[in-house]
Order: sequence, then structure tokens, then C-alpha cells
Amino acid sequence: MRAREPDADGFVDRGPVKLHWERFGDGEPTLLLLPTWTIVHARFWKAQVPYLARHYRVVTYDGPGNGRSDRPLDAEPYGCEEQAQAASAVLDATGTDRAVLVSLSMGALWALWLMANRPQQVLGSVFIGPSVPLGPGYEDREQPFEEPYTSTEGWAKYNRHYWLDHYQDFLEFFFSQCFTERHSTKPVEDSVGWGLETSPEVLIAESYPPWPDEATVCGWCAASRCPVVVIHGDDDQISPVGRGRALAEATGGALVVLEGAGHIPLARHPVKVNLLIREFVESLGGTAR
Amino acid sequence: MTLTMTAPEQTRARYPDQEGWAERDGVRLFWERYGDGEPTILLPPTWEIVHSRFWKGQVPYLARHTRVVTFDPRGNGRSDRPGDYEAYRRREFAADALAVLDAAGVDRAVVVSWCDMGEALILAAEHPERVAGLMLIAPALPVREPEVPPYPFDQVLDTDEGWAKENRHYWLRDWRGYLEWFFSRCFTEPHSTKQIEDCVGWGLDTDAETILAGFRGWAGKELDPETVVELCGRVRCPTLVIQGTEDKLVDPEWGRTGGATRLSAGHA
Repeated sequence: MRAREPDADGFVDRGPVKLHWERFGDGEPTLLLLPTWTIVHARFWKAQVPYLARHYRVVTYDGPGNGRSDRPLDAEPYGCEEQAQAASAVLDATGTDRAVLVSLSMGALWALWLMANRPQQVLGSVFIGPSVPLGPGYEDREQPFEEPYTSTEGWAKYNRHYWLDHYQDFLEFFFSQCFTERHSTKPVEDSVGWGLETSPEVLIAESYPPWPDEATVCGWCAASRCPVVVIHGDDDQISPVGRGRALAEATGGALVVLEGAGHIPLARHPVKVNLLIREFVESLGGTAR
Repeated sequence: MTLTMTAPEQTRARYPDQEGWAERDGVRLFWERYGDGEPTILLPPTWEIVHSRFWKGQVPYLARHTRVVTFDPRGNGRSDRPGDYEAYRRREFAADALAVLDAAGVDRAVVVSWCDMGEALILAAEHPERVAGLMLIAPALPVREPEVPPYPFDQVLDTDEGWAKENRHYWLRDWRGYLEWFFSRCFTEPHSTKQIEDCVGWGLDTDAETILAGFRGWAGKELDPETVVELCGRVRCPTLVIQGTEDKLVDPEWGRTGGATRLSAGHA
């Protein structure tokens, strides 16, 4: 059951892969809430959609691999540029000329690609817990992914063989790392449930395309011209807050650090995050109208 | 810009419009009033293992529509902690409620209780002129003889597991441990970590010695099943019993047989 049902929905064809989108509300401007890692689908925005749709036109969609979108097992649909092109196609399919992009975690990469390569479609960009290769990440994540696992502890679970053997256990571990705040049992349960709607085979296919390197991302940041705000928890155990800081600097954007917040503050601190998004959209003023 | 997400001390959604102390036999009782509408709702305390903040989910909403009075039980919160067990008879709590109503200038109130250990029932049965209606949420009234506890309360035990925690020596040794166990049984619903943490915190606002005095006062069999049934029969105000079906502390049948049936019979 949802607090707010969509006013319209449909599918976009990306070659053989169909992606499902939904639209809520019809205010101005349009906000495109991007997908992130396909381990979850568009419902991870559940605490944002009802509020934002009271003020703006909100478009969400399921990326390839989860939700009501197809689940291709080849790598191609999961590449960074194809993911960004798919977002652009969703804007076209929903009759959206320009939108404020709102992204979480690795969705930042697709937002940055659009900002650099489709600037006419982007009014502004909100990054939440951006997972971008700017500055150091967490060292204990350098675990062997392709080889058979020799440990089942901690980040050793980030291993394709472990996923195939113990998918739900990996999901529970991963989301326990995402939600470091106390009293997060409900968002952890929600997220594990969304993770179970796809499969380890899909996540493995998604892992194949190379990630853009630091120089590429820096180039996108330099090419970007739109207003930016970066919202980052200082207890983010997935993407360190230093990366959000680096992204704000590289894009000339504002940085809001949420003290005590983890990787997904939009679920654990929804009122704060929603108000920050609204404040940002309002600051765009006439350019957004 | 850095925004703080964690507060060292809980803030409230709604602050009281008036507060004060009522005093009985040298015991000071702290009360609060919220809102102004009619009628007045009195939210009395339950077992003094928690204090009036356990009504935090009700006060802000109810106070938008009506006057709400809460008070801390003797033994917790900002009320005094008498050391004598005789001070913790449930009849004393009922008398405290009357003193608080007097101090707050309230003639008559709808009494909404949670886990009533007798005081709300005594109030409604013996002071009908002060009680306009009675709501009992998961009442802990002994409407039949309680089962013998699995472990003796006063003996030193060789285990701390499960119900063995309901033990004087364990309480004195690890009060927090008891609170965590007890409240994890109160909140059987998933995603209750916040409620458990709140209640453990309120339980730590008092101490095992005070709770032991209160426990002895309560265990004095002041309210045996016969007395409870007799009191139920005297209640004349409109009455509603709310009972969760997954209650692990209070037998849901208690609410049904002792509360709902007899009280509605009494009312009719």
C-alpha cells in the first residue's frame, strides 16, 4: 500500500529492455528521482514521492534489473552511459523537457553524465550519499569478487560466488551497513525485500561494465553548469563523506553534511532530506519555471 | 553546513501549558496539563517502571482537541520516591490521581489508562463523580488467581534466563538487563527498537530499590480477583477496554472476561 499512487505510468523501450516509469503530481518543475544500484527499485523513494508530489511533478522509474523493469543478464544495459541515456529517454517518454535530477549513491554517475552531456535537460542536481570515485573510498572493500570466497565475514560477502550461495544474507549485511542509525529495522527490512525482487545473477551482470575513472568523473564535473547540492551523512559507511565534499567542490555546488546519518538519509531522515530538496528546488527560482 | 541529526536529550512534540506539584502525606507528585478543551482526559501512570512520558504518542494529538492531564507516579519521573512499601498500595495511586485533579482544577475527567494495576478501576468505582468515562488499555487487573511464577522472586537463583530475571537479586544486580528483557516482551511488534529504548530509559530514571518497594506494595494482595470483580460491578460510567491479541504480559482473556464483559454488564 502506498501513501501516494502514481497519476500516470508506462514503459520505455531501451532496445529489448523495457523500463517502467511513474509520474506523480503536475506542479513545476519536474523532479526526476533516478534509480541507483539495481539491488533496490524505485520504491526506495517512498518517503520522498508523497511530499514532493504535492509541490512538483515527480517522475521515478525502475532501472534495468528490478521493480517492474526487465532483468537483462547481459552487461550492456548496466553500463554507465546506457543508464544515463535511459534516464534521458524516460524524460522524453514522460514529455519532460527539463528536470531537477535527484540521485542516491551510484545514481550520481548517471546524473553527472547527463549534466555534462545533456545540459539542456538538467535544471539542477541533488546528490544524496554520492558514490563517485573522487578521493579515497573505504579500504576494506577491496575484496576478491570473482574468485571463490575464502571468508564469509563482513565485506568478504561482496563476492559473486557468495551472492549465488547466500543472497539474502548478503542483502541483510549490505543494508545493515547502509543504515547505521539506530531504529532502522524497518528500512532494512524494506530494502532487503526489494533486493529479493531481483537476483544475484542480475547483480553479477550489472557488475561487469567498468566504472568511469576519476579523470572521467572530474571531466563531467568540470563540464557541468547547473546548480548542485550534495547531501551526505558523516557516518556513511558505503561512500565516505569526503567523496561528497569532493563532488561539491568539483561541481561548485553546496554541501550539506548530516551529522550521525548513514548512506541512505532519505529513508531515516526523510523530513530533513525532503525539506532540503524543496529548498534547493525553490532556490532555482524562475529558471525552474 | 552541518546539520545535527542526533539530540542528546529528547525534545517534545508538545510542551505542557501548565505544570505543578500535588502533595499527599509528604509525597510530592508532579503533574502537567496540556491544552484547554473539554472534557479533560486524565492519563494516569501505570507501574512506576515508567513515568508520564510513556504517553508521548497520545499527548500532542489529544491536546489539540481537549485538556490533557498527566502525572508521574510516586517512584519515578519528577515525583518523590518514598522508601516505605506501604506507600505503593494501588489505592495510593488512585488517591494521587484525585489530588492531581484537584491541583489542576479539574472536577471530572475521562480516565484513559494503560496496564491498569487497579488505580483507574478504583477511581471509577469509588469516585464516580470524578470519572466521566473509563478506557482501559491492556489492563493488568487480577481477575483470576495468578499462576505461580516459575521462579521464586526472593531466592538467589542459579540462572538469569527468561522469567528468572523477575527476581529481587537480579534486579539489584542488573536493573538495565531486566528492563531490556521486560520491554522486549512488551513490544512484540517488529520495528519496536525505539519504543524499547525509550522505556528502558524511563526505567533507568528510577532504580531497583524503589521498584522493589513498589513491587512489595503491589504484591500485598490488596486487589484480589474477588475485589476486582466487585469493583467492576460498581463502575457506572461508559467504559471501553482495548486489548492487543499478541500481548505477552497480560493474558488477553483478562481484558475480555474481567474487563469488557463485567464492565459493560455493570454499565448496562
